[in-house]
Amino acid sequence: MDSDAPKITKTDVEHTIEHAGWRVQTFTYPISNAAQLDDIQAVVGFPLPEMTFGANALTLTHLASGWTYTFDTLEALKGVKNGELGDGDGGVRVGYADAWLKSRTDPNSNTPMPKTVETKPYDWTYTTIYSGHEPDSSTLTLDWRPADANNPAHTIPMSELTRRDPILYYAHTTLYDDELHDNGESSVLARVRVMPTFIFVLVRFCLRVDNVLFRVHDTRLYHSFASSPPLIIKETSGWEAPYNSVKRKLPDKRDLTPLTDTAFIATSLAEIEGSQQQPGVTKWRGLGTQTQVATIPS
Amino acid sequence: MSELDRQIAQLKACQPISEAEVKSLCLKAREILVEEANVQYIDSPVTICGDIHGQFFDLLELFKVGGWCPETNYLFMGDFVDRGFYSVETFLLLLALKVRYPDRITLIRGNHESRQITQVYGFYDECTRKYGSANVWRYCCEVFDYLALAAIVDGSVFCVHGGLSPNVNLIDHIRTIDRKQEVPHDGPMCDLLWSDPEDINGWGLSPRGAGFLFGGDAVRQFARANDVDLIARAHQLAMEGFKHLFDRMIVTVWSAPNYCYRCGNVASILELDDTLRQEYKVFGHAPSDVRSVPIKRPPAEYFL
Repeated sequence: MDSDAPKITKTDVEHTIEHAGWRVQTFTYPISNAAQLDDIQAVVGFPLPEMTFGANALTLTHLASGWTYTFDTLEALKGVKNGELGDGDGGVRVGYADAWLKSRTDPNSNTPMPKTVETKPYDWTYTTIYSGHEPDSSTLTLDWRPADANNPAHTIPMSELTRRDPILYYAHTTLYDDELHDNGESSVLARVRVMPTFIFVLVRFCLRVDNVLFRVHDTRLYHSFASSPPLIIKETSGWEAPYNSVKRKLPDKRDLTPLTDTAFIATSLAEIEGSQQQPGVTKWRGLGTQTQVATIPS
Repeated sequence: MSELDRQIAQLKACQPISEAEVKSLCLKAREILVEEANVQYIDSPVTICGDIHGQFFDLLELFKVGGWCPETNYLFMGDFVDRGFYSVETFLLLLALKVRYPDRITLIRGNHESRQITQVYGFYDECTRKYGSANVWRYCCEVFDYLALAAIVDGSVFCVHGGLSPNVNLIDHIRTIDRKQEVPHDGPMCDLLWSDPEDINGWGLSPRGAGFLFGGDAVRQFARANDVDLIARAHQLAMEGFKHLFDRMIVTVWSAPNYCYRCGNVASILELDDTLRQEYKVFGHAPSDVRSVPIKRPPAEYFL
């Protein structure tokens, strides 16, 4: 028997591969039920996304060392600002907020504002710059350091990524998704592929607020099986741009459906000048790109 | 068999009717709806349904569980279209049933029954794809403007898509609204279709910067002032198909199982018998076959 052959198991909710000394696991459960939602809400302290897939996760384990890295829903939600939004949080309001408020506060309004109570302030766009974490089950805590720009081994190699080698394992799982009360969409999708020579993960937060802005935050993990000691590259990037700058990139101006396609949004944002630089649209702290590396000690 | 019965049979088989037939159906529907009040009176027994969102094959499951119209008296609380892949067949089937059995099915308006929202969330796109022009979408939108805003069962169960409005203390206030228009961005008509209950006292402003949240106090006050025992609404996904709040004064009914074909939730319908006893019938999604979920664009497995 070929000991190099990947071991793959798959059920409705779990998809696992063991290959080249690694285990990659993806969990795809239904949305959480009321009791599970109450538990999560008790931890994060704000109303949860409409589609909260509380048990979903993507986990990588280096079998020899026991080092584990995971992307899960609870930690992604902990990255959402709970409380009054401040500088760098990238807070926005819906496109028609000013008009709405004016209709209620205008002295001649026939629908005057009622007496209102303070509602819980939190980031209703569910923006997160969560880039994964080492769970309690990880035997090691790696020392992440900034990548050396002059070291080619510290860059995710695009040529290898674009090569059409056979995919040994591909999986994706949604951590949460919310349509912002029909004012747009906010989602976190984790994807992974295991290739003959590497593992590659992309976890993307993508936000559309209709007539206001688009925002993306990507976390990419890359590990080449050829690296020794094993090297992990983690690249995080954030972009934002006004709604209309992305809308202008539509191939057919009447068909708005690409604006719901996260790949179209991410590609468009990357082409827009200044979309990674401060001040962006909101001075959001997630803008820019950072690359870190870590090695697993033997 | 009448022409209308033939169209109903065709729609039940998930086959769209012709553009000319849609036009004439929508005209007939408007003639019926224009006579309806903003708040429709309904007699029990009645089966109350929440969001459907174009999930046609799941709507057939709903009818299997609840019985067919006209044998069962139905109230649908809006959001017939968008998101699912069969908004056209879903809305037209419900509309054809309305025209055929006007006293056995009531349709009230959801926030998705709007020109603006359907242009973003799929119904417009689906109409132009299936008919080659936006005409069918336009006919349907004209019908949307005539849909009632709320309903009341036996004078004591108030039904609305979203929730309460701070400018509507009495149900009679709803009767003064001129509903025959696109859903406005503010005011009581907007609130009824958009607002959500929340664990607060009285009224709160949505953190989104527009729209209201209403608490248990607001619900109790409204119930007392209008001699109402229960408020039934839709609008928010519930994993268990329905969700009670505020000492069971308000219930969210959700009727789209496995929402967006990926949430894994169950759906429910609320049956009120002639003593207004509540029974929630829970159901799962239609068995997937090649027709129930159209092939989407293949996932980009070679993602970068």
